[in-house]
Amino acid sequence: MPDMKSIFETNLGQAWLVLLLAIIFGSSLAGVQAALGPRIEENKLRETLEKVPVVILGQTAVDELQAKEQTLTILPNTVSVTRQGVTKFYTLYRADFADGTTAGWVAKTSGQGYADRIELLVGMDQNAEKVTGLFILDQKETPGLGNKIVEDAWRDQYSGKSTATPFTVVKLPRGGENEIDAISGATISSDAVTNLVNQAVSDLKPRVAELKTPEPKGVN
Amino acid sequence: MPDQPTASERFLQGILPENPVYRQLLGLCPTLAVTNGMQPAITMAVSVAFVLVCANLVISLIRNLLKPHLRIVIFTLTIATFVTIADKVLAAYLYQMSKTLGPYIPLIIVNCIIICRCEVCASKQSPFIAVSDALGQSIGFGLALSSIAAVREILGTGGLFGVQLLPAAWPDWVIMVLPPGAFITLGLLLGFVNWLSMRKKGGRI
Amino acid sequence: MNYLVDIILIALSAAVINNFVLYYFVGICPFIGVSRRVDMAFGMGCAVTFVISIAAFLSWTITTMVLIPGAPLSSFIGGFFMSKEAAATIDLTVLSYIVYIFSISSSVQFVEMYVRKFFPALYKSFGVFLPLITTNCAILFACLTIMSNVVGVENPADVWDLGKSLILALFGGIGFTIAIVIMSGIREDLDICDVPKPFKGAAITLVIGGILALAFMGFTGVDSGLRKAMTRVPETAIVVSTQPSAHTAMIDEFIRGDMNK
Repeated sequence: MPDMKSIFETNLGQAWLVLLLAIIFGSSLAGVQAALGPRIEENKLRETLEKVPVVILGQTAVDELQAKEQTLTILPNTVSVTRQGVTKFYTLYRADFADGTTAGWVAKTSGQGYADRIELLVGMDQNAEKVTGLFILDQKETPGLGNKIVEDAWRDQYSGKSTATPFTVVKLPRGGENEIDAISGATISSDAVTNLVNQAVSDLKPRVAELKTPEPKGVN
Repeated sequence: MPDQPTASERFLQGILPENPVYRQLLGLCPTLAVTNGMQPAITMAVSVAFVLVCANLVISLIRNLLKPHLRIVIFTLTIATFVTIADKVLAAYLYQMSKTLGPYIPLIIVNCIIICRCEVCASKQSPFIAVSDALGQSIGFGLALSSIAAVREILGTGGLFGVQLLPAAWPDWVIMVLPPGAFITLGLLLGFVNWLSMRKKGGRI
Repeated sequence: MNYLVDIILIALSAAVINNFVLYYFVGICPFIGVSRRVDMAFGMGCAVTFVISIAAFLSWTITTMVLIPGAPLSSFIGGFFMSKEAAATIDLTVLSYIVYIFSISSSVQFVEMYVRKFFPALYKSFGVFLPLITTNCAILFACLTIMSNVVGVENPADVWDLGKSLILALFGGIGFTIAIVIMSGIREDLDICDVPKPFKGAAITLVIGGILALAFMGFTGVDSGLRKAMTRVPETAIVVSTQPSAHTAMIDEFIRGDMNK
């Protein structure tokens, strides 16, 4: 019994210190969150939004726009596609020029790659007739092999191709329509990216018509 | 009571003789995980330094109020708070690096180095000594991380800090930037350090 | 059906493909210092698995019920002090790490009491290693993985429920057990080998760990192949809807704020 009493005393005796520290630390953390929270959110969104114009227009055109101090207006939409109980979400961005005409569309999609998930942006022109470009946001593929999907040269294979036929991955390009040359030693990563692009394009092409702005009345 | 090492002695001890990674074998989780490049390694070392110094300082300031029963709780609370602060600051100002380091920044909370220093040094010494001990250990940790990261990055990608140093003809030893390379590099470097210290002690292998 | 596929893949990934010790480098300290007796190592692995599961349960519950914006408990209590809408935006995720480490400490205390009561011999043989499980990175890592799949996920459909979190924790612990049992078996043989003096102890264990990690690398890509084999998604979509979501609204606000600068 005396043992219990002394344990009770010592524990209660320092409980005040723990509580005091908890309150001090808790409030400093709340302060840190208030100060830095918005900035962190901004960082997350900026990452994607900076890339949207580049995927549609290409880096040189974006640089030219910036030199003229113009930017594209970006409007996000969520599109959910359900097949047999499986729902896939896309975030579809519409980018407009200053005069209101649509520059193009960018879909953010993700899926399983070889080692882990791949997240990418695929751009389409204003009528979703051509793929304008591809940007890999996040990947954890094998360095030196699957990693090469981020390289400009490989991604450029998608630029300017028509959306009418799906892309196919081949090891020896024969000059066929919409053929993508696989990275040697990384067929699965190349396959994964191509499948993601194909699925995004086929799912979202019909939606583009719904979400387009009406053409401005009259001709400029 | 035996003579306690002075502040400067503690500082120097932490760098090589009592290096947290090579001699004490503490904090191996981040050592293996973030050393596939020099940049993540140095960012991690700086974060650990921040948490270690701040935690040591706070614990040392309240050392007279600590009683045996609840001291681990208080250590944990302090360390977790500073790690959260470090994590938020990294996410706000170095977002890409924060994504690369991923879950290994919060894992600093269970990094044995910090709890060990708090227990052994900060809870018993004055703030000045505690801080110099923390600084010494942090520099030692940074040295260990950099040595491993340098080896892995040069052999694995042919460069340091992302800058190509070896000629393009170098076939990248990709294995070095993957998990097996981490284990093997640390094992071999550890063996090397052991060999050096055995020689220094004047013995023959 | 799809849920089952997800669960199987999470389990396989946590135990073998992305093994906690050999791929994510968590739980290294007990791995390096593991005893040379396979039965001790197995007991350690079981204890860690037990603790991880309890800690994961606590973490998921507290995160979902209290910490994330709009969580039931925080908006209920906040509802007393402010309007319902404001209470739904209370975001306590900044306290996540503190909450997790304390739930881990409590889990370890709980397991310690349980083992002391029902397996006293085991408790004695564990000695100081049982409380040291608190500093095992693997447990906190499991909690952090669960957190990253619950907090700040863009698709509401991708948020992990309790089942997936527990499966990750359980099979992560099983993967940890596999790794340390293999390592302790190897160490038994290592004792009779002629290891050079500088390498005796941790150094040679690390090199062997590297070779083990190399072997386990052979499992990479198994999950993506399995997923393809187990799911057959038909080509034509059946239901399509276009609607705004919380995530889109946030992007919208951000863009408008940017444009007004």
